[in-house]
Amino acid sequence: MGPLYKYGWFDFSYSLQLAVLIGFCFGLLLERAGFGNPRKLTAIFYLRDFAVLKVMFTAIVVCMLGLLYFSVLGWLDLEKIYLLPTFIWPQIVGGLALGVGFIMGGYCPTTSVVATVSGKLDGLVFLAGMVIGSLIFAELFPLLEGFYNAGAMGAIRLSDFFGIQSGIVAFLVCIMAVGAFWLVERVEKRFGDPETLPEGGSKFKTIGAIVILILGLALAFLNPDGPASPGQESVKGADAKATTLDAPRSQAAPAAEGFKIVHDEGC
Amino acid sequence: MDKSRYSNPYLIGVFLGLVLLFTYYTMGRGVGSSSSFARVGVAAVAAMAPEHAGSNTFMSAFMQKGRPVLMEWLIFLSLGAALGGLFSAFVGRRLKGEIARGPAVGVNGRLWLALAGGILSGFAARLARGCTSGQALTGAPELALGSWVFMFCIFAGAYGAAYFFRKEWL
Repeated sequence: MGPLYKYGWFDFSYSLQLAVLIGFCFGLLLERAGFGNPRKLTAIFYLRDFAVLKVMFTAIVVCMLGLLYFSVLGWLDLEKIYLLPTFIWPQIVGGLALGVGFIMGGYCPTTSVVATVSGKLDGLVFLAGMVIGSLIFAELFPLLEGFYNAGAMGAIRLSDFFGIQSGIVAFLVCIMAVGAFWLVERVEKRFGDPETLPEGGSKFKTIGAIVILILGLALAFLNPDGPASPGQESVKGADAKATTLDAPRSQAAPAAEGFKIVHDEGC
Repeated sequence: MDKSRYSNPYLIGVFLGLVLLFTYYTMGRGVGSSSSFARVGVAAVAAMAPEHAGSNTFMSAFMQKGRPVLMEWLIFLSLGAALGGLFSAFVGRRLKGEIARGPAVGVNGRLWLALAGGILSGFAARLARGCTSGQALTGAPELALGSWVFMFCIFAGAYGAAYFFRKEWL
């Protein structure tokens, strides 16, 4: 049962090796998608090429369905996954500012790394700018601290906020993603440059969309938040159940060698 | 500029989703990268002016875990991302020293804008506790409320400002 690290399957030093492997795949995929190129990245904001949105929404949908199905099947304990806390005001302002920084600089943080290693000097300059920007934030932190913690809502999910179970939220996300894909394909046809857009059969796209919607719909009926879904019950033993009862999300993993899991910051 | 075609974005998205899922399954957390740059900055300040770094609330928070500032999971992830990007650019023959810009902007202008955009992004990512990877791509599959709001705000900010930077890209 995952997450493996929080159940003490491996230690910190091994996790760093895993980080390099995960990062390698991450960087490779971003570069392959063309995200080392700021003209490709910013083309979305001029309605020419929506690769950024397609990659992001597909990744989010795949990962979201994976997480919820793993939870339903009892392979993954979602309670033990670090859930990013919500601080609504700094996130709104930070998001808007990051968007402006994106179109101004041409990159977001990870893509600038990929651009730099593929030889873009502007990527390296953007990286240096980010280090400077972070330090400016740190220096101004005493002034900003109040706003930094404004609108604290805790580790809250969309399903908690709207008061509906996460299977239905997931289904709505699937519908939104498929709708967005459909829309941006039309916009691309109108404004995009067919020379630079990658090919993709419409059959492949239709099947993908149907699979996403079916998986989302099934999840809405499965109800991953259910108090005792049968899959989870059979995997956890009787004693495991006892620990979950008095173990809120803050509790550290029952690590054998006594190393403690410290919750990391999100990003 | 370069006419080389990239992979199908949906396919990349599926693989990226699986990599994220693998990260959650093994580590119980998501990916991220912006804090790596904050850490690099903090490590530099800590090396040059340790008292100053120690007295700053935000910087000292990075130094508290009883191990070096740079001995951190996300730093290794960023190193991996650099290696992966290098590998892919090499294989795809896109390894080329250049300054990416639209035809209507000069080299100096582009580099100053990249610096300004980097500074703004670095600042914004710390304010929002994450960037496109650490907040949007990581929080959204978990259905975290703030991450969804943040993601739509990135798009809103960039679309809102796109008109003013059109000469940089088009």
